[in-house]
Amino acid sequence: MVYYLIVCRSLTYAQRTAAALERAGITAHILRSPRAVDREGCSHSVKVSQRNLANALLVLGRAGLPPRRVFLIQGDGGYKEVLL
Amino acid sequence: MIYLDSAATTMQKPPQVARAMARAVGRMASPGRGGHLWARRAAETAFACRQAAAELFGITEPERVVFTSNATHGLNIAIRTLVRAGDRVVISGWEHNAVTRPLHSIGAEIVTARAPLFDRAGQLAAFAQALEGGAKAVICNHVSNVFGFILPVAEIAALCRAREIPFILDASQSAGCLPVRQDQLGAAFIAMPGHKGLYGPQGTGLLLCGSEPVPLLEGGTGSASLRQDMPDFLPDRLEAGTHNMPGIAGLLEGIRYVRSRGTEVILRRERRLIRQAARELSALPGVEVFEAPNPVEQAGVLSFRIAGLDCEEAGEYLGRQGIGVRAGLHCAPAAHRSAGTLETGTVRVSVSDFNTPGELKLLTQAVSALLKR
Repeated sequence: MVYYLIVCRSLTYAQRTAAALERAGITAHILRSPRAVDREGCSHSVKVSQRNLANALLVLGRAGLPPRRVFLIQGDGGYKEVLL
Repeated sequence: MIYLDSAATTMQKPPQVARAMARAVGRMASPGRGGHLWARRAAETAFACRQAAAELFGITEPERVVFTSNATHGLNIAIRTLVRAGDRVVISGWEHNAVTRPLHSIGAEIVTARAPLFDRAGQLAAFAQALEGGAKAVICNHVSNVFGFILPVAEIAALCRAREIPFILDASQSAGCLPVRQDQLGAAFIAMPGHKGLYGPQGTGLLLCGSEPVPLLEGGTGSASLRQDMPDFLPDRLEAGTHNMPGIAGLLEGIRYVRSRGTEVILRRERRLIRQAARELSALPGVEVFEAPNPVEQAGVLSFRIAGLDCEEAGEYLGRQGIGVRAGLHCAPAAHRSAGTLETGTVRVSVSDFNTPGELKLLTQAVSALLKR
């Protein structure tokens, strides 16, 4: 399964993001952002599956919670930023 | 013990408050500080508390609900964000030292919109007149902690919005029993304790942020750790250091209790008790009761004084009879100055959703016995 990380500026914002996705029936997990994607040191991300990403971005746009940055979790464990 | 000092802190809490606190002590770490179970559990509880408060107080973004230690903490953040030395600030004549001391410390020009007790129209007119001279901020309590007077804060907030003057509401005595809606007031900040009408534990409070605040404390937030200035986003900007998770877990249960009961039900009960106390106490010789002519102007707080008897002595006597009231100036000399009770102080009776008519009856009997000594 391929996953994406939606990087959020704060834990509370990540919780709002995850709650909006869950309300739309999209499974979302909150985790601390890996250092590789975290520019400022310590942030939280919301993990969604590839098949849900497009719908998730739509839901978040409608909810007024636009993602700051999104990363693809690569097969080798690396992260690749997705241009929105 | 008959506890009639809920304006200081409510002591009778819904039992689920203490249970949630005990659970938190053993099972909750710091929200956002780790990915492990106990950190996640803390994060979920903190978020649930923000959301519950946001829904109760008309906030669309739960991150604008900030945890504080008490209302004083929140008021200090709000005041120090908006007020600088020499700024003209308009306040009511019923403010607590939590408002007036920071203003004095900053060196603000304090203008008091003074009106008679329980005169809502006069209070509004006094604010309108005071604002003709402009103001950097307006600060007003919703309910006087001494007299229970409900100030016309919706109208005062409207005056502020029309003049684009930031409005700070002290909801210490109203949160949990009166409608407090940020979406209707448009306040810059609303500060409240968690341990009074919201039935949370001591050491909890909330600051609702309609404006961008300046931190009072700086330190670790579990976010943006590489930056040496505080995060520019809420709630992290104002929540440096480890959270009071037992307190937040208890506060969540307190807010849930208030929402399930309904603020209007709680207010109706408290008003009925206060009217009973006013009626029975005022029938005693030499007892002066400060009761609103119109019941809708008073919440669950009532002051009285006894001719020829020191209020502190009366409070001590009642305490020895197992009745907890508060005597003196109630950290609000400005309110006593406005009401003309600064020299004597008053005995304050304040109720919660857990008091009963029988308890108020026993209060009157105890005061009656005191008069016969």
